[in-house]
Amino acid sequence: MNDLPLICIQNVSFTYANGTRALKHVNLRINKGELIAIMGPNGAGKTTLIRLLNGLLRPTEGNVFIEGKNARNKTIAELSKKVGIIFQNPSHQLFSATVEQEIIFSLKNLGLNKEEIRTKKDEILHEFGFEKYKERSPLTLSGGEAKKLALASIVCRDPEIIVFDEPTLGQDAKEIEFFIKLIKEERKKEKTIIIVTHDIEFALEHAPRVILMANGTIMADGPATGILVNEYLVKLSSLILPQLYQYKKGLIEMGFKVPENLLRLSEFKEFLSKLFNSKLKDKVVT
Amino acid sequence: MSLEFLNAFKFIKKKTFLHSLDPRSKLLFSLIYTINALLFTEIVPLLIILLSLLPLLISGKILKMWAKSIKGLSFLFLFIIILNTLFLSLDFAIAMILRICIMISAFSLFFLTVDPNELTLSMISMKIPYEFAFSFSLAFRFVPTIAIEAQNIIDAQQSRGYEMQKKGLINKIKNLFPLLVPLIICSIRRAYNVAEALESRAFGSYKERTYYFTIKFNLKDWLFIAYILVLFLLFIFIRINIISLPNWLNWRVPL
Repeated sequence: MNDLPLICIQNVSFTYANGTRALKHVNLRINKGELIAIMGPNGAGKTTLIRLLNGLLRPTEGNVFIEGKNARNKTIAELSKKVGIIFQNPSHQLFSATVEQEIIFSLKNLGLNKEEIRTKKDEILHEFGFEKYKERSPLTLSGGEAKKLALASIVCRDPEIIVFDEPTLGQDAKEIEFFIKLIKEERKKEKTIIIVTHDIEFALEHAPRVILMANGTIMADGPATGILVNEYLVKLSSLILPQLYQYKKGLIEMGFKVPENLLRLSEFKEFLSKLFNSKLKDKVVT
Repeated sequence: MSLEFLNAFKFIKKKTFLHSLDPRSKLLFSLIYTINALLFTEIVPLLIILLSLLPLLISGKILKMWAKSIKGLSFLFLFIIILNTLFLSLDFAIAMILRICIMISAFSLFFLTVDPNELTLSMISMKIPYEFAFSFSLAFRFVPTIAIEAQNIIDAQQSRGYEMQKKGLINKIKNLFPLLVPLIICSIRRAYNVAEALESRAFGSYKERTYYFTIKFNLKDWLFIAYILVLFLLFIFIRINIISLPNWLNWRVPL
């Protein structure tokens, strides 16, 4: 192996047939095992960028390297074994008669034999809690469940890189909790995870690295705790500052001494409990 | 791929003589040109008919879009050439291609310059109930939407290892299911959504309804129709007298 990272995007530009320049000279390196959130306003080029990863789109200029090999020389079918993309709308891919067959279709495309498919399928149905309705038609599932099934139909293929397009959109709290558990599991297996999202709270809480895009370029790339509290950058991406950061600012304005790294829920809980146990006790009475 | 071809039939608002005409006069134009094309099986007259469309296409600023729609049909032309040359003659094949070109051009000109809203209005003026007229124009409006959706479905399925090209007829048909089933289901769901959205805005609650935009036959519509009819009569004249007219009109590919 050469010294290229898992994903290497070199000076990539992309222009659609109608002349829209969706990406302009994008450079990006992503290492194995990273968890990255890609954020930015609609039309920034996020969806175009992820479609380049498994060859659905080919760069007009520049090169995409997956595992050190140029993606240009590989078919979509080959690339999709390495890169699994889960798109926003699950009804764009569910077509089988039963939930079970939906999973089998994904596995069959991998060229596994019957025995392997059966074990893998049962494993996934169990992991996603689909056992009790494996005979149901995917069309009768609720929006959240359908999204989960779409997720399962990609995760079962065990791709090295998993890309989620707006995974938290329209999901209820329980489904988001399941999703968070899933990405934690996948990270334990050293999988690389890329999440396209508008959910700034989610990104701040769970993604160590954030990439901000606007107008087809990467505006910022770095730790979430640095980028998502930068008021200029956040405004540029049509986002609202994270709630916890706003609380922190409020606390500072009120004259509290607040530690620098106070941004995540767990840190906040710890800080507040300390605060309540010490000086605030006498203050609250007045 | 398929997307671009559909774009060639998409209406884009422009300010030209052609765009400002009443949709009904343009419909008449399309029908007459279709008949014109059916009048002949000789290359030269068909070529003249096709060329007579060019000034209109240029004045309507839709030449580029038209060229795209013709390009999108090139595979069909290839098919016609091969089959007709094998079974009939090259001469006939070229004539048939010209004929299809004229018909497609006439209708592509219609769809490129007629605002879908005006189309509804002109249908209503022809005494078609407005519920039907409206659903007709709605169908047009959703063609590009469905094209985008189809592309998204292809992308989603390819992301889970679906392969577009498969060998063997049965496999090819089986291979369509992962694309067609989601497409049909999404379309049905959208139809329900649109119906609900319309009903929640009280669509169809009165027998008669009022209109914000109106269409009217103007002097330029009458002039346009007169021009089309003169050409039409001329072509009929050529058809009837084709034997006695100069020889070059009857020219054939020497084979």
